Amino acid sequence: MTASETTVKLDRVSKSFGEFTAVKELSLDVRAGRVFGLLGPNGAGKTTTIRMIVNITAPDSGSISLFGRKIDPELQDRIGYLPEERGLYRRMRIVDQLRFFAELKNVRGKQRESKIDEWLARVKLSEWKNKRSMELSKGMQQKIQFITSVIHDPDLLILDEPFSGLDPINTELLKEIVLDLKRAGKTIIFSTHQMEVAERICDDICLLNRAQKVFEGSLREIKRSFGRNSVAIRCEGGDGVLDDPALVSKLVRHADEAQALLASGADAQVLLKRLLNAGAVIGKFEMVEPSLNDIFITKVTESA
Amino acid sequence: MKKFLAVVKREYLARVRAKMFIVSTFLLPIVMSLFGIVPALILNIKTPPVRVAVVDQTGKMYASLQESVSGDDSGKTNDPTNIQSGFRRGRGAENFAFEEVAIANRSLDEIRANLDQRLAARELDGYIILPPDFLEHAQAEFFNNNPGDVFSVQAVQSALNRAMREQRLIEANVDTKTRQELFKPVELNAVKIGSDGQQRDARASFALVFGVGFVMYLAILMYGQIILGAVIEEKETRIAEILFSSVKPFTLMMGKLVGVSFVALTQLTIWATAFTAFAVFGMSLLTSKGLPASIPRIPFSHYVYFVLFFLLGYFIYATIYALVGSMVTTAQEGGQLAIPIILILVVSFYLFWPVSRSPNSPFAFWVSMIPFSAPVAMLVRIVTQTPPFWQIALSLVIGFSSVLVIMWVASRVYRVGMLMYGKRASIPEALRWARQA
Repeated sequence: MTASETTVKLDRVSKSFGEFTAVKELSLDVRAGRVFGLLGPNGAGKTTTIRMIVNITAPDSGSISLFGRKIDPELQDRIGYLPEERGLYRRMRIVDQLRFFAELKNVRGKQRESKIDEWLARVKLSEWKNKRSMELSKGMQQKIQFITSVIHDPDLLILDEPFSGLDPINTELLKEIVLDLKRAGKTIIFSTHQMEVAERICDDICLLNRAQKVFEGSLREIKRSFGRNSVAIRCEGGDGVLDDPALVSKLVRHADEAQALLASGADAQVLLKRLLNAGAVIGKFEMVEPSLNDIFITKVTESA
Repeated sequence: MKKFLAVVKREYLARVRAKMFIVSTFLLPIVMSLFGIVPALILNIKTPPVRVAVVDQTGKMYASLQESVSGDDSGKTNDPTNIQSGFRRGRGAENFAFEEVAIANRSLDEIRANLDQRLAARELDGYIILPPDFLEHAQAEFFNNNPGDVFSVQAVQSALNRAMREQRLIEANVDTKTRQELFKPVELNAVKIGSDGQQRDARASFALVFGVGFVMYLAILMYGQIILGAVIEEKETRIAEILFSSVKPFTLMMGKLVGVSFVALTQLTIWATAFTAFAVFGMSLLTSKGLPASIPRIPFSHYVYFVLFFLLGYFIYATIYALVGSMVTTAQEGGQLAIPIILILVVSFYLFWPVSRSPNSPFAFWVSMIPFSAPVAMLVRIVTQTPPFWQIALSLVIGFSSVLVIMWVASRVYRVGMLMYGKRASIPEALRWARQA
């Protein structure tokens, strides 16, 4: 892998606040033009890692490079950042806020005005242009905050929990925009603890837990390495079979079906045969990939 | 630099466009002039004359007493009590109606009984009894319906004083002209001779230093809070982190400081223009009435120093407010933490007096170097015994460097405080944050 393909490279980066170690010996490669999911439970060190990439805070040790260069304030203009802690100036008109944030990224003049109109139209808020932000609903404000992170057409976009609190329609709208940006060749770092969201848009993931990396790689590879050892079952009767620990290590019952994680060494065909022998009427029996959520929980429990 | 200007512009426009700004800009002069005018109006309300009967047992005091309160006499400068008692005169002495009570072989008790009746009937407001030995012992009695009327009591007392002195002099055979000369007050004009031999108006310079100090004090009290609020704004609205991904904390803090200061400058300029227009108008009114009023003679360099030290004083305290803002999470907390600042401000303002008494003492030197007290102390020294130029320059350098250092510390504390999420910093913590950030 050459340097040009790597947008962000962290090399044994550590950061602590007093006694508390937020990030420990973390090495990462964020590849250009991909969506990189930075995942982990609350307090795992995701936000601190992002802040070091954005140059808000400096690492205690280790090095960070962006676009093949050592980080410096000028590179900040090529980054768009939507922090988890975000807000707007309450009494300022939307258009004035966007102008201000654009100026802070050195976007000025006509280009700035056309970008503002373009983005407001894209998130369907054009008619709110001259309103004050206190008049907007929380979801609308969140879309405006999103615009502040993309108004300067950044090469690297960092989104920290971008969809939290959004309704499904707006989540879908922003998700489509993120995927469009990816298609346009932008690199996106996406931080969340919502695995279902990450699963749908990330190419690569890195799982952090307690300041350390648990694993890193492409989502597809990770799923493959976990194997198709999960079965979605809808059946009547034969319950005793599913409770056999020799066959099923974990059983999650949903409303009308159950998901069984096969015990190591167990065969799905054996399970099916046992169910039929026990007289179960089977409506569905399907091999499924493990969900990122399952992987996440397994890995976090393993590392603990 | 462009980002700095963007921050300045936003701070400035957001505040100048706010309704609060417009209201306060126009309201303050109105309120101030009301404070000036209303008390004057109240004092000028005409009250009926205080009717006082005089029982003159000496038989020779009444004429002098009448003279010492009668309208045309009391305004003259040969009245020694005039200098301090202009106020009393306006309220009291010019508004007395004296009448002499004929004794006509009645006993004092009879006269008093009669006067008490008249007091009860509200035909009189009071009466004075001058005993026969008044000129020797200077003791008299004043009976009145309204002992709470302190002004009348004082006015009667000073009228008696004047009358008694006059009478004693008459008895010592001093002629009228000499008597008037005796009471002519001193006019002391304190004129300072500068090293260039030029005359300067020392009193006017003092007034100006005091004025500059006072405007500085007002500006700090008003805009310090605004700076505090401006620094906290991004924390309360949670915008800080977005900003820090685009702009350095120091740039942001300086931008805020300068932006708010331009707002202050705008407002002060509006007020100063209104005030100057008022003053020019008032001055021409005074001179047209034959009263002396002129622009004080002050060297041009002093005006430059006034501006420089005003700015220094304003920025020193403004940056302290910014530092406080960087340590706290809400405006309320900031208000509490800002109280010691006001205390330092008041103390350094009172240094005006000790420094003006001995402007070349080591004490005056040191307080004019310490940034917090330098603005007022150094200005006092400049208008009294101008110190060597290097001292003035050193004071300015120390002061403005302190502004930059405090802002730098504030921006470090601000950034770490933001990363710590809503934790208020203690002073040792703030120092540690400033080092580690």
